Amino acid sequence: MIRLEGVTKKYGSVTALREVSFQIEQGETVGLLGRNGAGKTTLMNLMTGYFPPTEGRVVIGGKDMLGDSAACKRMIGYLPERPPLYDEMTTEEYLRFVCELREVQKGAIAGHVKEIMALCGLTEMRRRLLGHLSKGYRQRAGIAQALCGSPEILIFDEPTVGLDPKQTVEIRELIRKLRGDHTVVFSSHILSEVQQACSRVIILDEGRMVKDYRGEEPESETIRVRLTIGGRAESLIPRLKRLEFISGAEILPEAGEGETEARILMPRGGNRGEALDRAFRGLAEAGIPVRMMKEEKETLEEVFLKSTSDI
Amino acid sequence: MKAIWKREMQGYFCTATGYVFLGVFLTVSSVLFYLEILSQRSGDLPAFIGEMSYLWMLLSPVATMRLLAEEKQKKTDQLLLTSPVSLTRIVAGKYLAAVTLLGTAAALTLLYAGVVAMYGQIYPAELAVNYLGFLLQGCAFAAIDLYCSGLAGTPVTAAVLAFGANFLLWILDLAETAVQAEWIAGILRFCSLYRRNEAFLMGQLSFAGVLFDLSVIVLFLALTVYHMDRKRIGR
Repeated sequence: MIRLEGVTKKYGSVTALREVSFQIEQGETVGLLGRNGAGKTTLMNLMTGYFPPTEGRVVIGGKDMLGDSAACKRMIGYLPERPPLYDEMTTEEYLRFVCELREVQKGAIAGHVKEIMALCGLTEMRRRLLGHLSKGYRQRAGIAQALCGSPEILIFDEPTVGLDPKQTVEIRELIRKLRGDHTVVFSSHILSEVQQACSRVIILDEGRMVKDYRGEEPESETIRVRLTIGGRAESLIPRLKRLEFISGAEILPEAGEGETEARILMPRGGNRGEALDRAFRGLAEAGIPVRMMKEEKETLEEVFLKSTSDI
Repeated sequence: MKAIWKREMQGYFCTATGYVFLGVFLTVSSVLFYLEILSQRSGDLPAFIGEMSYLWMLLSPVATMRLLAEEKQKKTDQLLLTSPVSLTRIVAGKYLAAVTLLGTAAALTLLYAGVVAMYGQIYPAELAVNYLGFLLQGCAFAAIDLYCSGLAGTPVTAAVLAFGANFLLWILDLAETAVQAEWIAGILRFCSLYRRNEAFLMGQLSFAGVLFDLSVIVLFLALTVYHMDRKRIGR
């Protein structure tokens, strides 16, 4: 549905994006993560045709954005970081205007606008001037304009930024409703939000794509295991490190009374299950009273921090 | 394009801009009408229309300053530039809205011709040619000032640029008589929007004048589209 091929964007001597390539299939919900200045907004602006790349190609629905920009733009609904609202228009007038811009058939505009307003919870605000709406409703109006013309692809730049918690939940719920029928790409600073909503996360750092994370990491060479061990922490680390099958160990701060929380790293060495069995037996033989043992997957936060600190 | 035209007309008349423009235009033109026609008991409408043409220099920036500069300032240009509407149609829609406002102001001044007709004689064909020149001149100023709006980042800067451009055109027109070198004077005469209007004010439908004004309009609209496209590529 969306394909970027070696996309680079330069502003004079500053390179905002460097050779970014990825493909997003129809129906995917993809999160864009990155620090401030990583290039998320630039990437979204390129995908939506707001401006062209310095190098590379943007292909939307099989069409080149430069070659057939009108056809590409018809497939995309975009909510920029600041919703593009005209304060002197009412909500309904504004959505009608956007429908006309997106070449919705004249006879269908009224019904289409009514549907969108109902979906976005704007029906009661239809006669209110956009300049008089609260931030939450302005954001809803911004999402509503992205839905005009029923585009297949929705691109949202930080859709919940600046909203209070209740508004954030409402917007998140709205985006969740949209997921099934559309390909959705959105950027956020809130990892939990991205983790909940997205099946895939693309991490940018200093203009490069550093990670394309799909939740399940491929088999890594090291297994991380969290342990709850009976006993005091001071004596544990030397004993753990003496064990051959352990390549690393650390004590964690969260501990119950008379217990120690620890994390160990072990080489996978073939089969994951066998490695865990070996660890359990090894710890028992070493006289370390394990009360809980659980394999730990890398969290999105860890993936993000690791990806953005390696640069 | 029609959607953009409608939106801009709404922008004029759902805010004070359109009303202020028409109000000031009619107030100043009515004072001019009193001074040129009523107080002199004159029926010389072409002279009055010639005086009114200076109002384009002063007020055309008001009509155009928001059109492109405010879109950039408020980031609503993202809506337009990510929709399947070409830059040419965006600029054309906005230009037509400005021309509609200017045309409305010009149409309202026909009341003055009505007053003169009540007490004297007017020549409809001559009046039609006078107004054609007046309108074309206004349209040319609107195109130049729309270009200035495209260059600016805020409506205030756009207005200042447009005032400056209009004022410069007037100064160059005056400078034509002061310049020693005939070839420079010839160039200034050729490029002068005011000189080109003189034939219309004399009741002559000048093909060269129409072509000149249309050329200025097309040139500056093309420059506006070109500049916006270059800016977009260079973002």
